[in-house]
Amino acid sequence: MSELDFLFAFAAVLIAGVMCCGRDGRAGWAAMAVYGAMLVAVMAAAGKVAGGSIPSALGFSVLGHKIGWRMDGLGWFFSMLTAGAAFFASWYAAGEWGRAQPGMKTQHLLLALNVAAMLLLVNAGDLLSLFIGWELVSWAAFAMMAQKGGPAQPAAMRYMIYALAGAMAVLAGIMIVHAVTGSFAYKDFAAAFGAMSSGMKWLLAGLFAAGFGVKMALMPFHLWQAAAYSETPGASSAFLNAVSARMGLFALILVLVKVMGLSALAGLHVPLIGLSAKGLLMWIAAFTMVIPTFIALMQTDARMLLTWHGIGQGGYMLLGVLVGTGLGTAGGLLHVFNYATYQMALFLAVTAVIHRTGTSDLDRLGGLITRMPWTYVTLLMGIIGLAGLPPMNGFVSKWMIYRSLLDSGSAFLLIFAFVGTLGTILSVYKLIHNIFLGRLRPQHEGVREAPWSMVAPMLALGGIGFVTGWFPGLALNLTDIAQAAMGAPELPHGLGGVATARGSLNMIWVVSILLVAIGFGAIVFYFLGNRRYEVNQLNNYAGGHFLSPQVPYQFSHEFYPGLARVIGPWYRGSIVRAEQGIGTLLDVSGDLWRGIYHLAWTPLYLLAATVIALGWAIMGGM
Amino acid sequence: MSQSLPAIIYPVAIPLMGAFLLPIGARRMAELAGLFGRIVVLLSFSTSLALAVSIWTAGPAVSAMGGFAAPLGIVFYADRLAMLFLLALNVAVFLFWPRGQGAKGGPCTLMLALLAGGSGLILSGDLFNIFVFYEITAVASYGLAASGRTHAGFAAALRFLILGSVGSSLMLIGIALIYARTGTLNLADLSRIAPHALTGPVGLAAFILLLAGLGVKAELVPLNTWVPEVYGAAPARVSALLAGVVSKLAMVVALRFVVQVFPGDGAHTVLLVAGILGVLAGELAAWRAGSLMETFSYSSIAQLGMVALAFSISGAAGIAAGIALALHHAVVKPAFFMLAARWRGPVGGLAGAVKDSPLAVWLFVILSLSIIGIPPFPGFWAKFLFLKAAFAAPSAGVWIAVFVMLAGTVVEAAYLFRAVLVFFADGERGGSTPRFAFAQLAPALGLGAVLLAAMVFIAPLGASISGMADEASNAAAMAARVLDRGE
Repeated sequence: MSELDFLFAFAAVLIAGVMCCGRDGRAGWAAMAVYGAMLVAVMAAAGKVAGGSIPSALGFSVLGHKIGWRMDGLGWFFSMLTAGAAFFASWYAAGEWGRAQPGMKTQHLLLALNVAAMLLLVNAGDLLSLFIGWELVSWAAFAMMAQKGGPAQPAAMRYMIYALAGAMAVLAGIMIVHAVTGSFAYKDFAAAFGAMSSGMKWLLAGLFAAGFGVKMALMPFHLWQAAAYSETPGASSAFLNAVSARMGLFALILVLVKVMGLSALAGLHVPLIGLSAKGLLMWIAAFTMVIPTFIALMQTDARMLLTWHGIGQGGYMLLGVLVGTGLGTAGGLLHVFNYATYQMALFLAVTAVIHRTGTSDLDRLGGLITRMPWTYVTLLMGIIGLAGLPPMNGFVSKWMIYRSLLDSGSAFLLIFAFVGTLGTILSVYKLIHNIFLGRLRPQHEGVREAPWSMVAPMLALGGIGFVTGWFPGLALNLTDIAQAAMGAPELPHGLGGVATARGSLNMIWVVSILLVAIGFGAIVFYFLGNRRYEVNQLNNYAGGHFLSPQVPYQFSHEFYPGLARVIGPWYRGSIVRAEQGIGTLLDVSGDLWRGIYHLAWTPLYLLAATVIALGWAIMGGM
Repeated sequence: MSQSLPAIIYPVAIPLMGAFLLPIGARRMAELAGLFGRIVVLLSFSTSLALAVSIWTAGPAVSAMGGFAAPLGIVFYADRLAMLFLLALNVAVFLFWPRGQGAKGGPCTLMLALLAGGSGLILSGDLFNIFVFYEITAVASYGLAASGRTHAGFAAALRFLILGSVGSSLMLIGIALIYARTGTLNLADLSRIAPHALTGPVGLAAFILLLAGLGVKAELVPLNTWVPEVYGAAPARVSALLAGVVSKLAMVVALRFVVQVFPGDGAHTVLLVAGILGVLAGELAAWRAGSLMETFSYSSIAQLGMVALAFSISGAAGIAAGIALALHHAVVKPAFFMLAARWRGPVGGLAGAVKDSPLAVWLFVILSLSIIGIPPFPGFWAKFLFLKAAFAAPSAGVWIAVFVMLAGTVVEAAYLFRAVLVFFADGERGGSTPRFAFAQLAPALGLGAVLLAAMVFIAPLGASISGMADEASNAAAMAARVLDRGE
């Protein structure tokens, strides 16, 4: 048995175990241990996978096709993320949070199924097993989203329609590849792609980009994701956000970047506008980076805000990977890792707030910093990462993506990236302000910090984000393996960051200086300044206005009114209308056909058709 | 070299004899009618099975009635494809044998007649016998459609009867046209003469006329307006039988025509257009359907459209895909009908069904996943075969067909899972939806088990289907087996 077989076996054992005794209170801890073991097994395989790939005994032969699984560096990287995210999600759910959840057995089971499906996807050995894994992941995620019922169901339904439409595009692409090459192997596809006509190349690139792009919510297929992920129970949703949302990216990297090759995509020219297929995809990524980020800014629910950001962050990752240089690819992949750490931390923190207060509505929270300090710290670390500021790891990957755009001379894309980051900073400030700062709501006076079973995994994730921000080399060692498997140029790096000919980054210095500066600031603030006057949190503060405690006055509702006026129309934009239009078309044509079936005129048509057919036959020379 | 087997006649003769005898006996002992009928079906099944075994081992068989050789005499031709659907028909008739109130002499007789007609339809080697057996099948199904003895059932059956009779007359005109042109009605003989004699608009007109007749049973657009009404009003067992197996028999006969008599592009295009319209019509109408029964009626139109699409791709690959799709549908759709029979009324009224009948709901989920075509369920491999065949023979029509089929799959998933989400709706205590007695669920469960078994044994199943398709696509070899015996 290879390491990959061990992983599959772990997943299978876990599914069986949860099915038989998932109701037991200790099931969460046991699941966490298994995911931990999986993570260890993945890590242990790092050396082996760096030099080649690990085969699996799993495989079968059907209708004359051999289907198999095999782990290469790219699959390894995503397997590691999967096992890691599942480990933290189950840790979080193992204690009090899980006990408070209805139907926790189902949630354990669905998480285990999602992990198994994900492993089958990212370690697929050929296009057919890739599709099998793709569908399994889609449906496992659907079950996870729909499980809670209520408003989660329409969101999950919308996801399923999008995902299946994407899957059908992918299936068509795979079958066309098979018709051309006679095989489902990646290498045959790669070998044949160069010789295909440019129409065929466009068709395949379009089918795969659209099909996989749906899953990572690339524009214009971005409408489903935020609602679907937000309505999923916290721990599961953190997993979906961190890993499942990245499956589209994984498949895009695998098929478009690794198999088709970026240079082949760059050679496909769009008539008239002077862009190549690669450039077109980069612009799609750029718009995905900006527009969903500003939509996030408009959200009034913390989970919706975060999931909309998730869509935008996917744009950064894809952009970095598409730049294709060593720096860009590493930046994109590192952003996948970094995003998984801080987005999970953020989502778990918000879930902790929901656990204690019962809401994630940003208009109904505030001032929780004194009540839930550790959750606040986690959220603070998370938003610094999300905004891409030092000392957190999000800064490193974003810096690398900016730098690679600059190096490749893509100034306009760089501006888009900056605009996206600006929107991120604005909206994460709204997030932390409306939950933790400002005036405490009277009904939240008795709120306590979340239990340690929830705080510990949150802080651990924040801690990983901090450590890999301080010493990015640790995480870059992981992306190296995936990068080598992608066939992208390698990126020389040290523990503290990267050094290129046109600029370098050493996070050990950056973070250390920052910490020293913060230390000085703290000394000045706490010890050297004037005596501080503590204001009770329930007191209103409103620059210069006279208000009584009965009149709450706080800028948490309509946080950025001016900006909202400008970008408000984006929220109900043309794509929403297009989606409604397709739905209406479906309804109307459905009614039309159904109407035909409610008439009993068919014999008349038949007689008419007969007369015509006979006339035709006779005219035809009977 | 083909074997000559007089035993081919038994699967037709035994139920036909039973159908004649049953009413006589039922007058005296009404309660024994059901039992007698079942015994006849078992007998017919066992002879079919014996026949199938010998054909699987020794190759296709031909039987000339009364010793008159083709093309003058009447022949029955049995290859593996015919055997597959013959066995499926026998099993389906046994599985969906009338129960309770319906198990009187009348419906039992009609079931036996349906079995005899269907078996004859699939085995006949000449056009005239095909017409005769088609009529027997049709008349039996009109009667069965009304066997629920409801007002809606009678009305639906009457409309079905009118449409069916018009279709049959058109078919007869088509047969006359062919006879006028070629002077023979034997399929094997036609496969040698028709490519020269039956070309151009006349040939196409003949094919369209034949298809107008067969299409009524095969649920092809625009001849399927009876479908939602009859399936909604007939007993669920009858709907399951008609949609599941009888419709496929007509489709297989259409395939025989395309392979043996009309190998030209024209007939394939007609089938392709009918298939595209069928998928469109079925999936879109199902999206707006109100009850599960109606949904499945429309979805069955769409599925048969897919079979037609597959058969419209010339060559063994298309036939293999069509057989796989038809077989898969023959397993899944009857099970769906059995579930829908209990879950009548608007879908919205089934909220919380998972608490009342978890087994049925999970069966529904599995059937849905398979019919949508999610790997590793067998439905995926059927669609896979279709896409493989389609992309191997690309043309503008095939591209449209593939697009319609893939888009239809999305709509299909939407309307099936819309219902699944209702079953799992939160906050329902249960108790408000009908529960299943074991006997009501048993046929559906059995079919579900067959589906899961097919998932495990997909590799040998695939191999056997492609062998079947090779055999059924070779018109020259089929003609040689029938005509060149003894020489």
